[in-house]
Amino acid sequence: MKRSGMILLVAGLILTFAAMAAAQCPSTLDKIKNSGVFTIGVRNGSPPFSFINKQNERAGFSNDLAMLVHKAIEQKLGKQVKLEMKETAPATRIPLLTSMSVDLITETMTDTRPRRDSVDFSLTFFVTGADFIVKKGSPIHGTKDIAGKRIGTQQGSTNERVLREKYTQAQLVSFPDQAAAFMALQQGKLDAYCNDAIQLWGLKYKSSDPAQWEVVGDWISYEPYGMAMRKNDSDFRAVVNNALMEAIEGGEYFKLYEKWFGAKSDVPYPMSQAFKTFLLYQVVPK
Amino acid sequence: MIFGFLGMTYEFKWSVLWVQPHLTWLIDGISTTLRLAAISWCLAVLLGILFGAMRTVPFRPVRIVATAYVEFFRNVPLLVWLFFWYFGAPEVFPEVVRQWFIRHGIEFWSGVAAISVYHGSRLAEVIRSGIQSIPKTQLEAGISSGLSVVQTYRLIIIPVALRLIVPPATNESLNLLKNTSLAMTIGVAELTFATRQIETYTAKAVEALSAAALLYLVLCLSISTVMNRLESKFAIPGLIARGVKAEH
Repeated sequence: MKRSGMILLVAGLILTFAAMAAAQCPSTLDKIKNSGVFTIGVRNGSPPFSFINKQNERAGFSNDLAMLVHKAIEQKLGKQVKLEMKETAPATRIPLLTSMSVDLITETMTDTRPRRDSVDFSLTFFVTGADFIVKKGSPIHGTKDIAGKRIGTQQGSTNERVLREKYTQAQLVSFPDQAAAFMALQQGKLDAYCNDAIQLWGLKYKSSDPAQWEVVGDWISYEPYGMAMRKNDSDFRAVVNNALMEAIEGGEYFKLYEKWFGAKSDVPYPMSQAFKTFLLYQVVPK
Repeated sequence: MIFGFLGMTYEFKWSVLWVQPHLTWLIDGISTTLRLAAISWCLAVLLGILFGAMRTVPFRPVRIVATAYVEFFRNVPLLVWLFFWYFGAPEVFPEVVRQWFIRHGIEFWSGVAAISVYHGSRLAEVIRSGIQSIPKTQLEAGISSGLSVVQTYRLIIIPVALRLIVPPATNESLNLLKNTSLAMTIGVAELTFATRQIETYTAKAVEALSAAALLYLVLCLSISTVMNRLESKFAIPGLIARGVKAEH
């Protein structure tokens, strides 16, 4: 009797696990529908994409694009969904995504082939490359000047990887986030800080004395920004991509671009013709 | 994979740990952690013995200084101290001195300063409790034998106190080793930094963090084994009750 009891118990456990397996890894749309919450990953200090502004609110170009995706999700599911924003950082965002703490990373994540092994990306919504920010008058003008100099990066970023692999002469100092790295640069502990060019322009214009900083170098890497989501989730990906395509086609995207990068904004960065063409070509026909 | 029936889609890939350049990162990380821990430990022990003894001397001003040191440094989180010693303290020095520090591993030495001063204050308390558990009669006997207070401390009280405090001191030493992982927030490329790096480059979190756990476990077990040996080797017979041999 005891032995058959054990067999029944084990069989029961296996069936439970099998049922759990079937219920595991729900699609993102199902998860949002059931929980009523759509969580996006944002940054605290990456202006003008995703940051906390002077009024202590979350703001940014990426945040605004994410709100367009949020509206599209509400339309698709036919119900109201709460938008939650959670802070992510280069080193933590993929684990947060795969563990389902966030549903979409919408800050400043570069779309790369190795990363596509772990996550899926939406359409590219911004292109930039890595540059250096230095104090005005610094002898560093580009990658040929960085040998033996202390260059700051963010832990886990693509820029760190590029410098580590291609520019081994440079002395790399990696910080957990941009705020720490920029403070080290301000205090003279770094000769330059390497990050995506547009974010460096954001840092420069948001600093207390923009004239003191220069963004130098030619893009040492190509950094296309995409929104990251969990793998094998085509329905959700279609919703996100459709939202972005609608925004580009309907002009909403360009309005947002003008708001954050236009002539009157904090970080003026005119859209190049090549980028505009690229954006328009990403919009597949309805 | 056996976990497939749980519906897990994670693929284990343990080779990320020993493939180059990841292996070099791990080895560099271990060596930085050990260097940071060793130097900080030596300084922390010196500070601990100094201030621990100072808290027990009969002169009130000395006791106040030592108490101030202990309470000030142990009641603030180590992470805050790390930021202070890296972003705050160097600004006090003149430009020339600062530039010299920057060229000579300021991240590492700020980490050493923060960890050694913080753990120095904690070790001071451990040592104080060791000293104060020695009967006052020992001090009186030493002074009445013609030794000065300093000599009594140096030759009689502190050697015995050191043997008494081996278990809590081992605890603090292991804490020190583990706290070196916090130095990664100021850019020190130690072991935790190296395993996080592997994790972000390969997205294989389970493998990378298991490696971190295992390596810290091995390092800490080695230290506690050594401390246990020290405890047995330097034991004063009959001083501390041990449940090993019964007296006949």
